[in-house]
Amino acid sequence: MTSGIAVVTIGVTLVLAGGFALLLRNMEELLDHFGDDLRVTAYLESEVSGEALRALKDRVLAIPGVEDVESLSQDEALERFRASVGSGSALLDGLDINPLPASLEISLSDDRRSAEGMEAVANVIEGLAGVESLSSGRDWVEGYLRAVALVRSVGVGLGIILALATLLIVSNTIRLGIFARRDELEILSLVGASRPFVQMPFLLEGVIQGAVGGAIALGLLYALFRFALPGFEFGLELLVGTAPRFFSSGEALILVAGGAGLGLFGSAAALSGGWRS
Amino acid sequence: MSRSRFRLRSGGDAVNVPRGEGAIRMFHVSKSYLAGSFALRDVSIELAKGEFVFLTGPSGAGKTSLLKLIFGAERPSEGQIVVLGRNIARLGRSAVPPLRRKIGVVFQDFKLLPRRTVEENVALALQVTGTPPRETRARVFAILKQLGLQHRRYHHPLSLSGGEQQRVAIARALVNEPQILLADEPTGNLDPELTVEIMDLIASAALRGTTVVVATHELEIVRRYGKRAVRLENGRIVEDTKPSFPRT
Repeated sequence: MTSGIAVVTIGVTLVLAGGFALLLRNMEELLDHFGDDLRVTAYLESEVSGEALRALKDRVLAIPGVEDVESLSQDEALERFRASVGSGSALLDGLDINPLPASLEISLSDDRRSAEGMEAVANVIEGLAGVESLSSGRDWVEGYLRAVALVRSVGVGLGIILALATLLIVSNTIRLGIFARRDELEILSLVGASRPFVQMPFLLEGVIQGAVGGAIALGLLYALFRFALPGFEFGLELLVGTAPRFFSSGEALILVAGGAGLGLFGSAAALSGGWRS
Repeated sequence: MSRSRFRLRSGGDAVNVPRGEGAIRMFHVSKSYLAGSFALRDVSIELAKGEFVFLTGPSGAGKTSLLKLIFGAERPSEGQIVVLGRNIARLGRSAVPPLRRKIGVVFQDFKLLPRRTVEENVALALQVTGTPPRETRARVFAILKQLGLQHRRYHHPLSLSGGEQQRVAIARALVNEPQILLADEPTGNLDPELTVEIMDLIASAALRGTTVVVATHELEIVRRYGKRAVRLENGRIVEDTKPSFPRT
């Protein structure tokens, strides 16, 4: 009965902590995925074309952190827009002039795919003659990173509080176990059992309870992931272009080991105050 | 007591206690659980190796407190107590288990584990010393056979009579071949016939060189064996009678 309480407590703690870890992991992965598509677009003044466009492209390419530059003339921009709006493109036929500016689509090297890296490159490009305005995913990246940091802080904070509460519950549960077996402990002590001899079963019990709790948490998280997520998975994949991933086997092992660790510390805490030779 | 007889050794060994070869030596030992109230007061006594001694006195005289001091369950409030060369007052926590493995203890309420078999209960004393399982089984069988309990080895204590349970407790206390055997009212729960049977078993340990201390308030037993008897009253030794011929 008391063992069951410890197992369930550890399980609940790890479901919550593991859930946050899973969310965080997928959010960070999403950022990596978006990183590939993160580009700075420099919209050019209307007089920049031909030779001037090529010269500007070369100058941008020379900026540190710029991996590739693709130039897009006004006509190409219109064609792309026309293709993207599909059947609505007929509306564009009435246009006398092309309102779209020529642009340079600038891909950044891996080390610049962050809000700060983007800003540094954008500042240089913004100062170039012929560049009218810039568009980048900087604001989005900043917002997203703030969200990731928030989830991480909440996860860590909640994890610490839950871990402490779990330690308290597990140590009290083990203490109840010690109390229930006090006659046995007294007899072991009488016949000269050493401290490790007496404590080992309780420590092992804590480790096993913790590992079972961790395994249950892993199972619950997997069940939620497999059966609750598919309802959103299609939308998510469409929206962000990547399907959420579950823990790798190494991460799953860490979750179970975390449970075992909680059980071990809970038992050790109980034994330090609950048994005297 | 001259200073020249004192010796100084480190660790849990004797410090400022006279030299001697006694298994148990107490020097001006007092034990107080509450301020101003003494369970034992200024007790000095020496028990030789292989000696059989009765501790007598009414309930609350301090017999159990004295036994607890000997096996390190309590520390003296004052004085020195040296058991098998170790000073109990200075014994580190980790030094207590090794000392207890040399001391067998028998209680009035047997203190057997009800969920374990007779064999397992006795084996416990060997398991804690790390004795290999095969040797443990052999030694447990030997001691149970010696005490006439071999046919009961797979039984649980609660299915045994009081006398049998106490014999199991004695088997557990003796299986380690202890240097000291302590018995606290070992026949308190037994009828007169079983009392003699149990006391004979305990007395036989002394014949093999074990120092035996039996706390009892039953003077009939003391008279029957004619051994040294130390009488306690209100925590003090009031009488220490030498062995006489046992009553026939």
